[in-house]
Amino acid sequence: MSVITKFTTAAALGAALVSMPLSASAEEFITLGSAISLTGKYSTNGLHAQNGYDFAIKKINDAGGVDVGGTKYKLRVIYYDDESTPARGAQLAERLIAQDGVQYMLGPYSSGLTKAIAPVTEKYQIPMVEAEGASRSLFNKGYKYLFAVLSTSEQYLASAIDLAAGMAEREGKSPSDVKIAMAFENDPFSLDVRAGVADDAAKYGMQIVVDDKLPRDLSDMSATLTKVKALKPDLLVVSGHSKGAATAVRQIGEMGISVPMLAVTHCEAADVTGKFGDTANGILCSTQWAETLTYEDPFFGSAANYNEEFKAAYPEYADKKVPYQTAQASAAVWVFKDAFERAGTLDKEALRDAIAETDLMTFYGGIKFSAAGNNVAKPMVLRQIQDGIYNVVAPPEFASHELQWPRP
Amino acid sequence: MKWLVYIAFIAISLAAPLVFPAYTQQFSALWVLIILAMTWDMQGGQMGYNSLGNIFFFGFGMYVSAVVQVSIAHDIGEYTYAGGINVFQFTDGQYFTGLVLGVAAAGILCALLAFPLGWILFGLRGPYFAIGTLGVAIAAGEMVGTWEWVGAGQGISMPPFPGNPDTAKFVLYIMNMITGMVCFAVIAWLYSTRFGLALNAIRDDEQKAEGMGLQTLWIKRVCWAVAAFFVGICGAIYGNTVGFIEPLEVAFQTIYLGIFMVVAVLLGGKGTLWGPVVGAIVFHTLKEVTWTHFLGWQWVALGVLIVVIVVYFQEGIMGWLQRQRPEWFGIRVESREPEAEAAT
Repeated sequence: MSVITKFTTAAALGAALVSMPLSASAEEFITLGSAISLTGKYSTNGLHAQNGYDFAIKKINDAGGVDVGGTKYKLRVIYYDDESTPARGAQLAERLIAQDGVQYMLGPYSSGLTKAIAPVTEKYQIPMVEAEGASRSLFNKGYKYLFAVLSTSEQYLASAIDLAAGMAEREGKSPSDVKIAMAFENDPFSLDVRAGVADDAAKYGMQIVVDDKLPRDLSDMSATLTKVKALKPDLLVVSGHSKGAATAVRQIGEMGISVPMLAVTHCEAADVTGKFGDTANGILCSTQWAETLTYEDPFFGSAANYNEEFKAAYPEYADKKVPYQTAQASAAVWVFKDAFERAGTLDKEALRDAIAETDLMTFYGGIKFSAAGNNVAKPMVLRQIQDGIYNVVAPPEFASHELQWPRP
Repeated sequence: MKWLVYIAFIAISLAAPLVFPAYTQQFSALWVLIILAMTWDMQGGQMGYNSLGNIFFFGFGMYVSAVVQVSIAHDIGEYTYAGGINVFQFTDGQYFTGLVLGVAAAGILCALLAFPLGWILFGLRGPYFAIGTLGVAIAAGEMVGTWEWVGAGQGISMPPFPGNPDTAKFVLYIMNMITGMVCFAVIAWLYSTRFGLALNAIRDDEQKAEGMGLQTLWIKRVCWAVAAFFVGICGAIYGNTVGFIEPLEVAFQTIYLGIFMVVAVLLGGKGTLWGPVVGAIVFHTLKEVTWTHFLGWQWVALGVLIVVIVVYFQEGIMGWLQRQRPEWFGIRVESREPEAEAAT
């Protein structure tokens, strides 16, 4: 009997709570909304992104907030946990917009979640600046309200292919002799990286000897690595968010796999140097942003300055790399501030047009959107872990160190 | 009295999205759970076959309708190609024709598919059947996940509804509501026929039922086909509501809706007509509240709920009501305890 009473009370309470939407007080706050992965397989990076948003928002608010047509507004965000699943993400975007009255959205983590949420923001004509969805398939749907500050995913490992071709030539071989083994998580982001790698490899006529799609929530890739051991490719490419990077580096160490070149995405976010030490040496990591780059803006300062301030605000990153996921999340908030101030109004249509006209240099790099909404002003860089330090080795105009080849 | 309940239910269902337009999507999601719970109870509650794989038809229907809806205007392989740069648009005519054909195809193909699948799986009983069906759903997700023609792990972005978002939500809500109500009517009618009794006979003792001349394999397959028909339609509509489908977490989402439908039935009361409906409503409300108010703890809350139901409350809400108030269910009780008499 008492169980029933509890159930009915809970149900009644639930009904009451559901029917009471959070009212957004517009006097001095601009409310942004975001469904972000706080649990589930993307939770590591979801948290990196959330910290990036929160850091930028706190910094902007502390500096007086956003000046919209002479009135100062503070920024705030309503977050929900999308559990790393697209179905939930789409539902929560709907909830943020329809129930909580959010007019401006910050993106979720991952291409998959962004693909789920973009149709919703588009339907309601809500501008969304996203920092974590890189798949090109986001930008061929004709979306008008979607803007991405990061480079698209086919660029992640393009430099690695160029480097492999260069190394083949140096060794007196032809680039078409290069054998590539690829292992990609079966999700929208990694598959788009794969499509980019496949295109680039085809350009050089390279041979793809292993082409594996790995399950989500990647915790074992020993089958792929066994094939790699037997086929001895010149380049092994792995992409699968943070879990994929951690699994790859761990098992490559355990199984004693040796390949001359190994390129992985999400090394920093997975903290491979901290977790695996020397095993991580020689790995090529693609990155959207590095604290050693010379980008600069008047508010966050240089990339290095952002790095320091962020570490001061979030001590848990003290002996880790600040992942680019965090930097680009902060950059997305900055795009909103800039656009609000240029628009001079809170009207979402005017704001959308202002975002479309963004032309900024930031600590994170240049930001300028194509008609499809992707950032065309910022290149990707490739870093190599050399004695536990991330050094930029490609593209040539950003390289600070020589590539170590073959991998130790 | 019975008709009053039905009329009130229809009126509330119709009024809900009009009175609280901001919650239309939530109500739609509630209908989805109601449909899944009702159809699950046909096997799990009435027939005694605990299927963990009904979500297979949900995903299958979703993909069938997506392929139909996209193919009507574009080549699906090009549409889903990972590195594609073309922009794809749909006219209003293409959208609505696609939607109608897609939903219809989803229902019909799912129902047809239930026969061969049932022929294989209904040889299994108890936990073997549960795991067998679960295997089908998981395998289907993994297979679709490597099939590039339908986008593999990239999934498919559904064609957008032309026009106003509020209209879109309302139209999809009405589609869900009609599917749910027709499903309820069909199930209620089936339970009132000999077919319903046959289902119960299979649950109570399958050997005896067979010994009495019931074609049990045939009955089990028809029962599953009816469920598959509605689940397929429901999945097709759900795909359009979400707007983006992918194999593992939207379509063949075994650990989300695949489990929620079972929990909803257990909460509402297994083997009753209204149990799944009541269970789905209570569970959905509970979930929506806990999910956003205990960020990060929602799965713990769900786990606790499942444990509480399974350990302390196996009969479910309707089962408990039936024991407390049998006369509401048309059950005549010869003698009742005196204090209960006095209370009424």
